[in-house]
Amino acid sequence: AGSPPAPAGQDPQGWRVPVDCVRANELCAGEPGCSSRYRTLRQCLAGRDRNTMLANKECQAALEVLQESPLYHCRCKRGMKKELQCLQIYWSIHLGLTEGEEFYEASPYEPVTSRLSDIFRLASIFSGMDPAANSKSNHCLDAAKACNLNDNCKRLRSGYISTCSRELSASEPCSRRKCHKALRQFFDRVPSEYTYRLLFCSCKDQACAERRRQTIVPSCSYEDKEKPNCLDLRNTCRTDHLCRSRLADFHTNCQASFQSLTSCPGDNYQACLGSYTGLIGFDMTPNYVDASTTSITISPWCSCKGSGNMEEECEKFLRDFTENPCLRNAIQAFGNGTDVNLSP
Amino acid sequence: AAFGLYFPRKEYSENVYIDQPAGTPLLRIHALRDSHGEAAHFHLCQNLIISRARSHENHWFQIREKTGLLFLSKTLDREDFNMLSIGNWMSLSKVMLYVFLSSHPFQEKECDSATRTTVFLSLINATAPVCSSLTARQLCFTEMDLSFHIKENKPPGTFHQLRLPSVHHLCQNLSVSYKLLAAEGMPFRYNENTTGVSVTQRLDREERERYELIVKCTVREGFREVQVEVPFLVNVLDEDDSPPFLPNGTDTADAVVEFNRKEGTVLATLTVYDADTTPIYPLESSRKKYTGTIITDDPWISETFRVEHIFDEIHFSPNGSQVRGTRHEYKLVLNKSISVTDHRSFQLDVLVNDTEFHGPERSVMLHFNVSILPVSIQFPNMTYQFSVNRNAERFAQIGKICIENCMKFRGVNITYKLLSPNISCYPVSILQGREDKYGSLYVNDSSVLHRPECKEIQYTIQATDKQSRKHTKTLLTIVLEGILLKKEEDCPDSCAVSKHHAECEECGGLGVLTGRCQWRQGSGKGITTNYSTCTPSIKTCPDGTCDVIESKDPAVCPQDCTSGNIIGGHGKGTGNLGIKSGHGICYCFPKKNCYCEKDDIKEQLCDDVCKTVI
Repeated sequence: AGSPPAPAGQDPQGWRVPVDCVRANELCAGEPGCSSRYRTLRQCLAGRDRNTMLANKECQAALEVLQESPLYHCRCKRGMKKELQCLQIYWSIHLGLTEGEEFYEASPYEPVTSRLSDIFRLASIFSGMDPAANSKSNHCLDAAKACNLNDNCKRLRSGYISTCSRELSASEPCSRRKCHKALRQFFDRVPSEYTYRLLFCSCKDQACAERRRQTIVPSCSYEDKEKPNCLDLRNTCRTDHLCRSRLADFHTNCQASFQSLTSCPGDNYQACLGSYTGLIGFDMTPNYVDASTTSITISPWCSCKGSGNMEEECEKFLRDFTENPCLRNAIQAFGNGTDVNLSP
Repeated sequence: AAFGLYFPRKEYSENVYIDQPAGTPLLRIHALRDSHGEAAHFHLCQNLIISRARSHENHWFQIREKTGLLFLSKTLDREDFNMLSIGNWMSLSKVMLYVFLSSHPFQEKECDSATRTTVFLSLINATAPVCSSLTARQLCFTEMDLSFHIKENKPPGTFHQLRLPSVHHLCQNLSVSYKLLAAEGMPFRYNENTTGVSVTQRLDREERERYELIVKCTVREGFREVQVEVPFLVNVLDEDDSPPFLPNGTDTADAVVEFNRKEGTVLATLTVYDADTTPIYPLESSRKKYTGTIITDDPWISETFRVEHIFDEIHFSPNGSQVRGTRHEYKLVLNKSISVTDHRSFQLDVLVNDTEFHGPERSVMLHFNVSILPVSIQFPNMTYQFSVNRNAERFAQIGKICIENCMKFRGVNITYKLLSPNISCYPVSILQGREDKYGSLYVNDSSVLHRPECKEIQYTIQATDKQSRKHTKTLLTIVLEGILLKKEEDCPDSCAVSKHHAECEECGGLGVLTGRCQWRQGSGKGITTNYSTCTPSIKTCPDGTCDVIESKDPAVCPQDCTSGNIIGGHGKGTGNLGIKSGHGICYCFPKKNCYCEKDDIKEQLCDDVCKTVI
């Protein structure tokens, strides 16, 4: 195959401008050529792996046509209308092609272009205090106060707190499903200048760090009777389109990189914190493991016990949470009110 | 043996620069053997996979079938680079290649072998760097960790080459040498001529499962000498080469069925160890590999019992170093509830089978000495006698009726019944909660208590086992005592309405035992389970459970039973019923709201959020 003419949907630099998948699906449905190829490809991908699929002429042809359609490069937005539908369309193509066995999957979400400094600017307007000013103050308490002064934040926060602390019976301390849903609503609908302050406040004493750890009501949303194996948990997460997407987004934006100053991809702290927050309310919900003020350790509720021959892979997966310099730097930078100064 | 060649690592990576000439070596891939005489053949998949699911036919990269050397077969020029970068939204372009492995020359160039490793090639938007611009770290190692896995019980062989073919090709005048440190006494050897690292003997994971070495790299350029050290890790992969064994030789356990006869009861547990690891993921396949089967011809036994298998990781220390192993637990569980009349003893054998172990000792037999004892349904020898104050109100709780060992029973359904006496004095009834093992006596008709002719009433109580219909009887005497007091006027039906100590004890209400409500004085510290409140009986209300009598009428004990709003600082009880903890004094209007507040100071009411915030 020769190099194709520049397809539509590219900006002047030659990079594609992503269209959301719901829209791309509509565009594709409007063209008989595209919609029939899409149907063919979906049939090809159902239950077959990439290699078998590529061996089939008809599938190969469908793939080649679709590679030039907006569907192939479409993305979704966090918290968009019809987010689940968008992700379903995304994975209907990409699941088969990336084989689902990859350690890291590419994020189906649009790249985050905003910066932490945007949040600080907004934060200082409503709080009137410099986050780094008073060394004795409890930043996590300040964050809770700031949230209570905002109707939307207060309403959704009290919503998840009362849902997550409602005891159902002696054997069932709460409804985890409802708690997760309420947490997702809070983190999707409340602006990040409020939610990040609650989640990533910096602490000098244990009471503050304990409050920070308690932010997501971990007794209901995080802890469980038993700790599953992390690979098992990842597998559970990957069966759900939303969880799978949020995890892929976390891996895309928080994967430690040697090539940047901050260890974060593109030195973008905001993107990493955003995708960390996006995992809360799913099976892979992360949290602080203790109320330590000196070291920040984050982990999902899982361990590598019982990994058998997959122990190396399991530990690699877990280390992206527990020993991730990008995530740690991003949390610390937010707590200190510092962002990377980027040359324009 | 079956085809058993394998790669000692899952991923390889290298950089590719624009306009690097054809023939440039990139990296070297190794394979390890399953049996002697196997020869490795390497082969590339014909497609390059570009991130975000695109692919392109491979025109640039080839691999030497016998040596595993991956090299550029065609210069990758700027046009190629741009084409491969489209669709990559990260600034760094990566392409992925699969390398396949076979023990015989590849016939058809297809990507279908199961044994493969992944090569990530980072396409760098620049021409190849000059040697002098590279740091010692870059000259010696790639960014990837030096981490490998070697299967246990396999023949020795070379599994890595330390020298980087690309650097060696680029910087031929530079002297780069390596040393493997901490390798003494370890089963690894470094060959200076080839820079290959090999494993010198068969490894045994049950002896040691992780080797940590250090590679020291020395770069010499004229008189300058720089050294870099990085860790070199080898994990030993496990295979099922150990039979199950019994800790301390224990293969027998007693399983007694007596008061607890409910389906799901664990009667006894026996443990089997195995030095091999058992992945808990995926769980079901591991369960299938390690089976536990009841050996019996008796259909009653196979219907009544089942074996549950759980396992977890434990550590063994064969020679100082820790290695992982497995503890399997086999639990003998009741598969259905057993009747109180059943009486049997027998030995139940369970065969545990390590299905993937190839040896004669792959199974062990476990023995459970099962004794099913009958239990008798009978009251304790004495008869019951309770006294009831004449001023007691409806729903006053008098006492509990319980057959022998009733609180120990599980899976036995006992119902208690009062057989009515043939006189007209009939003030009490008996009630039983759904899971309750006892019956609660309470006043059902308080007007009977006021009648002077009723003094001492005899009842017969009958307890019946639902399943076997076995029953037993005993006598109950109710003695009415006390002098009838004049009832206060203007008193509410429910004690819970009273807000103050004085008004509480002046009045009666539903459920009171002596005609007067009781005041509970709380500790007064914050939101506590010991809040102040007015109640018919401190013993039963508020105790945190809405019992069967309290639930008969919302006025008896709303503190335990309310499902309405609670205003003020509080914590709700189980199942959202009742006030588990409250602030200050809690009082309730039945079927309406409850309030918890400090009496003395008027404080702002506290809702869910304020509780959590402050």
